[in-house]
Amino acid sequence: MSSISPKTDETTSPQEARAHSSGLAFEEISHAYVAANGTTPVLRNVSFAVESGQVACVVGPSGCGKSTLLSLAAGLMEPTSGLTRWKGRSVKPGTNPDLGMAFQQPGLFPWLTIRKNVAIGLTTRGMARHEAAKQADEMLETVGLSGFGDAYPRQLSGGMAQRVGIARALALRPKLLLMDEPFASVDAFTRLKLQAEFKSLLKLDKPTVLFVTHDVSEAILLGDMIVVMSPRPASVQKIIPIAREDRDRAGPGYARKMTEALQCLGVETNLSGN
Amino acid sequence: MSRMQVLDRLVLPVIGAAIVLGIWQGTIAYYGLARIVLPTPLEVANTLWKLLGNSGFWHDIQISLKEFFLGCLIGCLLGIAVGVLVGVRQDARMVLGPVIEAMRFIVPFAWIPLTVLWFGTSLTGKVVLVAYAVVFIMIVTTARAIATVEPTLMRIGVMLGMRPWEIALKIHLRAAAPAIASGAKAAAAVGWIAVVAAEYIGASAGLGVMITNASMSLDTSTVIAGMIVIGIIGAVVSWLIGVIAGAWLNH
Ligand SMILES: Nc1ncnc2c1ncn2[C@@H]1O[C@H](COP(=O)(O)OP(=O)(O)OP(=O)(O)O)[C@@H](O)[C@H]1O
Ligand SMILES: [Mg+2]
Repeated sequence: MSSISPKTDETTSPQEARAHSSGLAFEEISHAYVAANGTTPVLRNVSFAVESGQVACVVGPSGCGKSTLLSLAAGLMEPTSGLTRWKGRSVKPGTNPDLGMAFQQPGLFPWLTIRKNVAIGLTTRGMARHEAAKQADEMLETVGLSGFGDAYPRQLSGGMAQRVGIARALALRPKLLLMDEPFASVDAFTRLKLQAEFKSLLKLDKPTVLFVTHDVSEAILLGDMIVVMSPRPASVQKIIPIAREDRDRAGPGYARKMTEALQCLGVETNLSGN
Repeated sequence: MSRMQVLDRLVLPVIGAAIVLGIWQGTIAYYGLARIVLPTPLEVANTLWKLLGNSGFWHDIQISLKEFFLGCLIGCLLGIAVGVLVGVRQDARMVLGPVIEAMRFIVPFAWIPLTVLWFGTSLTGKVVLVAYAVVFIMIVTTARAIATVEPTLMRIGVMLGMRPWEIALKIHLRAAAPAIASGAKAAAAVGWIAVVAAEYIGASAGLGVMITNASMSLDTSTVIAGMIVIGIIGAVVSWLIGVIAGAWLNH
């Protein structure tokens, strides 16, 4: 084998690799779930790229394939056709040391304490136990769950469990961060706090982020771009770039981007007030 | 616990035992049975009391328990290992699945003639038989428990950077542990039955031998006392496994 690492795609020419080497890229991804009772086409010809250090927010109707897209980016499964690249290399099923992911269903290990649920990724990646526990506690404090380190998942509410899932992903300090509707089941006030914490964490490590949300205002607040998906089988309907000034809720940019995204999603609205 | 519950837990089992003893005594009286056919509960209790002071009896128990524990240990470890392999890996499932399915219906007792032929009346033969009785129950429960582990947990293992063997041990096996523990409880019961059955047919010592010897000298009272001891030991072992598994699983 001539490959440098198992993740190297040997068909990648050096020029191609350099062209994509910075971040995450989907190249003509199509995916269908095959089951005994039929085939469900989910993604059709999805292509877009997220530059290194950028945040892409994915919005789209329920069931269109957003979670599927994240699974493909994470290397948890292979697309029916097409290629996903991370730092220019094709993503193969298996573990990616750069990856941190918060799933739509938090999926905590019921037999571990909250602290250990957050720390287990760190110890798996070779960190000493006490150091991992310390960092887990810090991250639990960030998501507003300090004091719950010794609790078990069954003792938490849905929104709390989801925040543990977020802490577990963030504790890894990943270069590639995938988040699937992470703030969906917390109250509006907690969500605002989490969004603010999340933004300041992003400034720290500058990961490449793919962030699925149902909330267009959240997408504008957090994203450098919004990827609007069409209904299933989904393709990219529009990519809306977001500039810093668009995040000012009182400014004209915010309303314009909001309207643009909502129209794309088929929601008739006029938020600019004219 | 309230006083009522304490009372219930003491009184109700005694009522159950009294019913059985009553039927026993009543049957003897009604049919006028000779003590060689069916001795009275009191006679059996007397025999049991005498057995407790007999060193040969304790030696027999020790032999039976040793065969049982060695066989269970080997059977459980092997069964869990194969069960994890079969549960996690599709290729292993395809290779081993049909063989396991077929062999688990050849009951342990069908193997007794062969084990006597191969191992004589030694300890090894009984250990092999118990391990055999236990291993298939453990393979099947382990594999089935692993098949029902929440798939998201495996994806999380991959995300966290776990290698396939780590996912098999730290997620599959751990998530399946409660089901495996109750499987072990059922397997132990079958294993204990296998010990006694094997001793009835080919052994030089053990509870089964004690009972067959007593039967040949028409000592019915000892036969029944031995049977009661078998039942008590089986129940205690099963209870112990439940307690140990519970303590370990619930931290
Ligand atoms: N494991 C699976 N097997 C078969 N079909 C699946 C599977 N996972 C998802 N699907 C189907 O694929 C489609 C897309 O699912 P996906 O979870 O990616 O949607 P989503 O955009 O994340 O939806 P939501 O916003 O509700 O979370 C759905 O129609 C779903 O029925
Ligand atoms: Mg989803």
